[in-house]
Amino acid sequence: MNRFADQVRQGAYISESRMVRDTLLEVRSPLTARPVPPRVPEGPQVVQAFISRHRPFFILLAVLMGQLLLLSVQVTRDQNVPLAKVWVISALAPVEHALRTTTDGIAGAWMAVGNLGQAGQAERELNARLTADEARIRELSAQSSENARLRVLLDFKTHSGYPTVAAEVIGSSPGENSNTVLIDKGTDAGLVADLPVLTPDGVAGKIVAVYPQSAQVLLITDPAAGAGVLLEQSRIQGVLKGAGRGLCRLDYVMNDNAVAPGDKVVTSGLDRVFPKGLPVGTVVKADNGNIYKNVVVQPAAALNRLEEVLVVMSKPAVAEQANARR
Amino acid sequence: MPAPAERPINVYRVHPLTLWAAAFLALVLQSFLPVMLPAAHLLDLPLLIVIYFSLMRRSKVFGTLFGASLGLAEDALTHGFLGMFGIASALVGYLGAWASIQFDLEQFLGRLTVTSALVLFHSLALAGLERVLVASPPAFQLLDLVSIVLLNSALAMILFQVLDRLRRPA
Repeated sequence: MNRFADQVRQGAYISESRMVRDTLLEVRSPLTARPVPPRVPEGPQVVQAFISRHRPFFILLAVLMGQLLLLSVQVTRDQNVPLAKVWVISALAPVEHALRTTTDGIAGAWMAVGNLGQAGQAERELNARLTADEARIRELSAQSSENARLRVLLDFKTHSGYPTVAAEVIGSSPGENSNTVLIDKGTDAGLVADLPVLTPDGVAGKIVAVYPQSAQVLLITDPAAGAGVLLEQSRIQGVLKGAGRGLCRLDYVMNDNAVAPGDKVVTSGLDRVFPKGLPVGTVVKADNGNIYKNVVVQPAAALNRLEEVLVVMSKPAVAEQANARR
Repeated sequence: MPAPAERPINVYRVHPLTLWAAAFLALVLQSFLPVMLPAAHLLDLPLLIVIYFSLMRRSKVFGTLFGASLGLAEDALTHGFLGMFGIASALVGYLGAWASIQFDLEQFLGRLTVTSALVLFHSLALAGLERVLVASPPAFQLLDLVSIVLLNSALAMILFQVLDRLRRPA
């Protein structure tokens, strides 16, 4: 193993040892070489040589320290550094939007190709017609499914009484514990931070960052998310927090309050973000704790497969601006 | 897995455009795939790109800086603090380059073992940072950790074969 390592160190890539050697030893021509009394390295030279010898490690340390400093600034000031996020999301969002459009197109074409493959098995002409019809039916079926989803959104938009803007989900966040999605509407559509985001089934989350043509939505299952809620029947109030893994928990419900699995949870409107009375989810587990109950809530919206959402333009003026732009 | 002494040591390079195109594509797919396929949130494509290029370039400095860059870009896609993925990926890049010097990673088994170890280290580093920095960190799930290591290692073996076709001897 050591010989392998030595061979690599002697290669073109890892030349630190050579640099160190050149720094430490005075290379002289054999003709001009004279006996030189051994020099005792002085303090700064020793440090310099040590740093040169371990350059990669010190670079790693510097990178880690820099990022720890960045983290400490964000933690102590409780704010993100938006510039890097703007750059990255602005670069990725158009590509993801194009990808979304392309995959939708490919899905339609794939159905047609699948049917064409069946055409060679029986009588060519009849089968081709049959296949074409089937392809048409499948295509219509896919469109019908999409139409149904959009109709539900439209119905909700019409009857909810809230001014809304429809958006398509084009991306999500990396990491198993981060629950955010990227939608294809941003400041250009009049969106601002803290607007609630809904699906026809219930609350999805709220907008936490807005970019010109996209926005980041923090889902209610994220550990950083919170909402004021109440139990629909008993009107007991609590605070909904994300618990990760597609679930939420209901905090600050006293042990002596009656909560049972199956109870519906709706927004209370007290958080000044979500309008009152929107469906949030259903209690799936309720156990007594020290003072407060441990209540687990399953969100009503299918947050792991969001495709279209509605952003509630809570301020009428904002909604009017958005409509005027459209 | 120690490298036999008589084995010639191959050092490879790729065109810088290939490098950054692979990184960009990994970021796009990392963000896009879970929308189409929810199970894809267990995959970490940018991490696999960091591991591959740090193993290939055998340079700790490159591994550190490339890992930090891609990690910070991943951080930008989350709602969390900038630096968590950055720190974890920088450490992975450094350790990957170190491992490429110590072991012969042209063999399938060697690659698989080192990749699995690096994915595991990355997950543990992220979980550790969350425990320190997040007010209410999610509970540690062993099953998730095992799934992440197995899935990413399996995908890495396929991805690395594809990326091997883009490299050339230095």
